[in-house]
Amino acid sequence: MNKVEIKHLTKIFGKRPKAALKMVKQNKSKNEIVEKTGSTVGVYDINMTIEDGEIFVIMGLSGSGKSTLIRLLNRLIEPTDGQLFIDGQEITKFNKKQMLDIRRQKMSMVFQNFALFPHRTILENTEYGLEIQGVDKAERRKRAEKALDNAQLLSFKDQYPSQLSGGMQQRVGLARALTNDPDILLMDEAFSALDPLVRGEMQDELLELQANVQKTIIFITHDLNEALHLGDHIAIMKDGQLQQVGTGEEILTNPANEYVKTFIGGVDRSKVLTAESIMIPALTTNIDVDGPTVALRKMADEEVSGLVAVSRSRQLLGYLSSDEAVSARHSKTPLSQVVVDMPTVQLDTLVVDIMPIIYDAQTPVAVVDDKHHVRGVIIRGAVLEALAGAEGDDEHA
Amino acid sequence: MLNLPKIPLESWVTDAVNWLTQHLAALFNFMQSVGKIVMDNMTAGLIAIPMPLMIAGITLIAILTTSKKFGFPLFTLVGLSLIANQDLWNDLMNTVTLVIMASVISLIIGIPLGILTAKSAKTAAVVKPILDFMQTMPGFVYLIPAVAFFGIGVVPGVFASIIFALPPMVRMTDLGIRQVPTALVEAADSFGSTTWQKLIKLELPSARNTILAGANQTIMLALSMVVTASMIGAPGLGRGVLSAVQHADVGSGFVNGLGLVILAIIIDRFTQKLNTTPGQKTVAKPWRRWAILAAVVVMIGGGVVNSLTSNKTTGQKVNIGYVEWDSEVASTNVVAESLRQHGYDVTITPLDNAVLWQSVANGQVDASVSAWLPVTHKTLYDKYKKDLKVLGPNLRGAKTGFVVPDYMKANSIEDLTNQAGKTITGIEPGAGAMASAQKTIDSYSNLKGWNLLGSSSGAMTTALDKAYKNKQDIIVTGWSPHWMFSKYHLKYLEDPKGTMGKGENINTFVRKGLKSDNPKLEKIFDRFHWTKSDMESVMLEIQNGKSPKQAAADWIKANKKSVDSWYK
Repeated sequence: MNKVEIKHLTKIFGKRPKAALKMVKQNKSKNEIVEKTGSTVGVYDINMTIEDGEIFVIMGLSGSGKSTLIRLLNRLIEPTDGQLFIDGQEITKFNKKQMLDIRRQKMSMVFQNFALFPHRTILENTEYGLEIQGVDKAERRKRAEKALDNAQLLSFKDQYPSQLSGGMQQRVGLARALTNDPDILLMDEAFSALDPLVRGEMQDELLELQANVQKTIIFITHDLNEALHLGDHIAIMKDGQLQQVGTGEEILTNPANEYVKTFIGGVDRSKVLTAESIMIPALTTNIDVDGPTVALRKMADEEVSGLVAVSRSRQLLGYLSSDEAVSARHSKTPLSQVVVDMPTVQLDTLVVDIMPIIYDAQTPVAVVDDKHHVRGVIIRGAVLEALAGAEGDDEHA
Repeated sequence: MLNLPKIPLESWVTDAVNWLTQHLAALFNFMQSVGKIVMDNMTAGLIAIPMPLMIAGITLIAILTTSKKFGFPLFTLVGLSLIANQDLWNDLMNTVTLVIMASVISLIIGIPLGILTAKSAKTAAVVKPILDFMQTMPGFVYLIPAVAFFGIGVVPGVFASIIFALPPMVRMTDLGIRQVPTALVEAADSFGSTTWQKLIKLELPSARNTILAGANQTIMLALSMVVTASMIGAPGLGRGVLSAVQHADVGSGFVNGLGLVILAIIIDRFTQKLNTTPGQKTVAKPWRRWAILAAVVVMIGGGVVNSLTSNKTTGQKVNIGYVEWDSEVASTNVVAESLRQHGYDVTITPLDNAVLWQSVANGQVDASVSAWLPVTHKTLYDKYKKDLKVLGPNLRGAKTGFVVPDYMKANSIEDLTNQAGKTITGIEPGAGAMASAQKTIDSYSNLKGWNLLGSSSGAMTTALDKAYKNKQDIIVTGWSPHWMFSKYHLKYLEDPKGTMGKGENINTFVRKGLKSDNPKLEKIFDRFHWTKSDMESVMLEIQNGKSPKQAAADWIKANKKSVDSWYK
């Protein structure tokens, strides 16, 4: 069932939209249009449908018009042209009053920089949506507290936003949006301002939430991984125009055009990718200094089961697995005696040539430079991903 | 451009103001009377609060609102006590009333206007240039229409202060609302806030600090207009400052100015205390709030008790206008003091000369004893003679003319060639003697290229004193009776053409309706007369440091007989 339907939606900023529209139709570039007309094309001729209860991700680089698009959906920005249907109602025809009701009942928004009101406490922020609908105090308090409780923030309800961390603030932003119990959640790069760790947590929380509440979520991001992680469907935008809509799989295996291909890094990778571009930073232990206990602690901290053993000058010595480290601790043997050899490749080794090596290796493959210094490691998944991309290309070749 | 005839801008503006004055007279009069009643009662209420109680109360509030620091409360206590000690308490209360009214009205007009300009580009395009105009136009200019519309007193003072103090309020409100981060406005919109809800729940609270900073500026500007407004009869500390300037009295100017400074600092600190940021709110302890409330209640209670128990003077109200010339200070205080002794409730209002004539003509001032006729104030007399009544001389043998120290060789205006840098040192530009002096310069061929330098009567005597001590040439627009003739050896320059007036008399003039309202009072004014030597004796007393009121009372005591003759 279609929750949202978008037909020919267009937004042109500036004073001469007609002239700009004409130029867009001639496929002129954004810069050229601005120079000629002084108008900017926000989005142009967007057509798509969003199903009920799915997470629909819109991605693109900055300036691609994705933020404009999401604001067109709740008409914070008035469209220049086109139609927008929600539950079959054409809301582009709605008057101000009806639009207020749509925003109050059906849609809530979460912002990149949280947009919490600094002069209100967390609770007052959370209940804002209900407050302006005139819900009585006890009722709205109850609902706001429930939403905060779900976000594990109830104990902070009398604090001010400035006293909370970014992740907490965004959870408040989410709680505020959910307190209204909307059908549709609009999320404008909601996690981009958070650090990677918290970001991952928030993504998982959102998926968990979605499993429980089944809302239609329209999620904007410029991060492909986030899109792949969250999205049931993904739309890729460039210069205000839609390039491709599909599931993550479809987009990775069937990029519609060159832009999408480069966007998802889908060039013929196995022939150009080098070890350097797919390696990840090595987690090392300097066994001239570290003992088994330190090494084990590092493994626990980093959540891995092995470390690359190096000398003081970062020369590669081998691989130290957790089992070996434990036994070394019991038998009081120095670590240098329990490390095992690692397969190595050079920085400029091609992925194509790494594949057989990694297939046989029991440990990650170390990437070293000509001085035998460790620069990174390659794990199985990275190669497989490169391989998958390459295979997709092969199908199309 | 250059061969265009001069555009009659002046007469256009004059006509416009006249038109407004005539057609909106009812409205202006209503505002004037309502405003006056409100402010008089407010001042009376403030004055009714016993002084020690009020000082203690305000100091207590300062202590309660300042945590852990005692600098500000101490300053409040010492500053207010000093003002009280200098006998400026009533002036201070008058000033407080004026500042509060001007600020409150500026807030009431300014905040909505600021909101409008922030919300609508069209309004901003219209309002902003007007604000620029209002802020850069010298404050004095506002006094002219203020007098035309509202006459004299505290209402035009407030009017002028508002025009001057309004712009920062509008600007800062506008700025504060525009500065609300876009994301927050979008958030408020995305939840379906109406424009009104957005304003109340987001924009105004966010802009609060900027708005308060604007309010602070507005209050300070209103304070700075207090001195200017006192030229048109606004009571308060400004009057003392202005009078000190006109008499070149450094000490009194400093003391009155200091009073304003103390008031400004106290108001400034209190308004800054309202500026708090969310999240850093020091949770005000409830007892502090109650204590502040209690302090206010006790002060008000003291005021009520005091006003109930004090015996009010229920005499007839008389308003005598005068100009801050030494001669008029003497005569006006003598008349006022003698009327007070006969049970009248007398107010004396110092005004600029032209404003004084205008105020008597439109009936706002009952009487004045300072018309120099037939020559010195001829222009004003001609302008207003239809609307007021000149009762006749109260002092004969007054004289105006060019006065020089007797060591100068010149004996007649015709002897002047290039002495004193071809400059005549004058007094207030609006004074009658100045008009005569200009006429004199124009009619004597040897004065071609001479300058008439306007200043104030006080500055003129200071300049004379300086030149006299250094044996330099100086020519001043002098008049007698004046104490300077008893202090220095001076002489009048002969005036063969008679442009500076031959012998003159000082006359009493009253408003048209005084006779029907209060025939007895008009009779007293009609009978009031004294001599040149009487006046000069009072003037010298004042010059030697007695307060005008005291000098007048002493003279009345010594001349009981002649005073009684006025009341027969």
